[in-house]
Amino acid sequence: MCLAIPAKVIKMNESHAEVDIMGVRKTVNILLVDNLNVGDKIMIHAGFAISKIEDEYFCFLENMLREILDDCP
Amino acid sequence: MTQEEKRLIGETVAQVNKSLKSDIRIMEVCGTHTHQIARFGIRKLLVPKIHLVSGPGCPVCVTESGYIDALITLLMHENVTIATFGDLLRVRGSSDSLEEQKSLGRKVITVYSPEDVLNLAKRNTDQNIVFAAVGFETTAPLYAALIQTSQKENIHNLFFLTSLKRMEPAIRFILGKSGVHIDGMICPGHVAAITGISPFLPVTIEYHIPAVICGFEAMDLIASISILCRQITGEIPIQFMNTYKRCVSDAGNSAALRLMSEVFRISDVNWRGIGIIRDSALILNHSYEEYDASKRFGLKIESVPAAFPDRCECSKVLIGEETPDMCVNFGSLCTPDHPIGPCMISSEGACAAYYGFGGGKI
Ligand code: SF4
Repeated sequence: MCLAIPAKVIKMNESHAEVDIMGVRKTVNILLVDNLNVGDKIMIHAGFAISKIEDEYFCFLENMLREILDDCP
Repeated sequence: MTQEEKRLIGETVAQVNKSLKSDIRIMEVCGTHTHQIARFGIRKLLVPKIHLVSGPGCPVCVTESGYIDALITLLMHENVTIATFGDLLRVRGSSDSLEEQKSLGRKVITVYSPEDVLNLAKRNTDQNIVFAAVGFETTAPLYAALIQTSQKENIHNLFFLTSLKRMEPAIRFILGKSGVHIDGMICPGHVAAITGISPFLPVTIEYHIPAVICGFEAMDLIASISILCRQITGEIPIQFMNTYKRCVSDAGNSAALRLMSEVFRISDVNWRGIGIIRDSALILNHSYEEYDASKRFGLKIESVPAAFPDRCECSKVLIGEETPDMCVNFGSLCTPDHPIGPCMISSEGACAAYYGFGGGKI
């Protein structure tokens, strides 16, 4: 029930944004995220944006895994 | 998934599997993690020494039967429609489920977003719409936004029967319980996206258990399990970590937290199979009581003892004391098509996740 999916903000007004979810356009509520701009990436949960996300989706994780592997004997 | 990601996962898994000398138990407390771990077949990648056990984070599984009974009582009112997320439909109260009531012609509507409920209320002004507001902190701010919007737009036929729960008291309950041994914890990424990291810090700071805030992709899970294993084996010092930084900031979502504190206050609630956990509920603040279905319709949610059918082990599965395969009904008498207990009803319940992706095997 806590699943959220990533999307990109295409257009927005005060309370709602049109977003692109893997090529599909959808309207979502954006009342829960401050300082949102067109072009931002967000996580969507049950029709609401709940968080902004970093552009580089896996970059941080990839670097972390590489570090773990480099560290290991 | 790219070839590079696959390679990294493969190498990390091999490294984790090699490093373990004795059995360890890692708990995921989020039902969505439970589902994803089963979906990606993570258990099958890891050596049997690593036991991934599920916690109480499937909101539908822990919703008490008295709450379902209260929703069913509301359906007896001529002009009441219950709106709910689909997962809750099949959960039984002390006798019936909403699905059974719906088949009898009662007005139960499944929605995908709280916004659908607002439109439903606007379109059906002759009906009182009661939204079954179930969930954890990921979903609670959505209800809060909806309630505030209803107030602003002067909507008077929309009500909420809440069974909203907080993660931190549940985690403290489990970690403080004797008989439940956990070496590491995978903390819920989307709850933390709202709350920030503070509710989860005590796992490491007070209980000295390695803990990681984790995302929901295979790579997130493998990275987090690897970090936990390295801490558990003493390879690196025990420290709280956030591997889901692309979505979870330390402070969380300030707009959502502000809204939640305006609309809700903290109370106690009964968790199905677990009992009352103090301060684990979010209920409507006095200033929003006009939206409280229990006040509007004079309802009381009775704390009936967990109605688990014969030999259902959900109460132990929900706190990680047992895994689904330890229940005699698992995969034989109890399957997703014929569920006996709540852990087999929701796709995020441990029993359904294990069964659905393991073909009945773990
Ligand atoms: S397999 Fe079915 S009966 Fe057994 S614990 Fe799970 S839900 Fe309950």
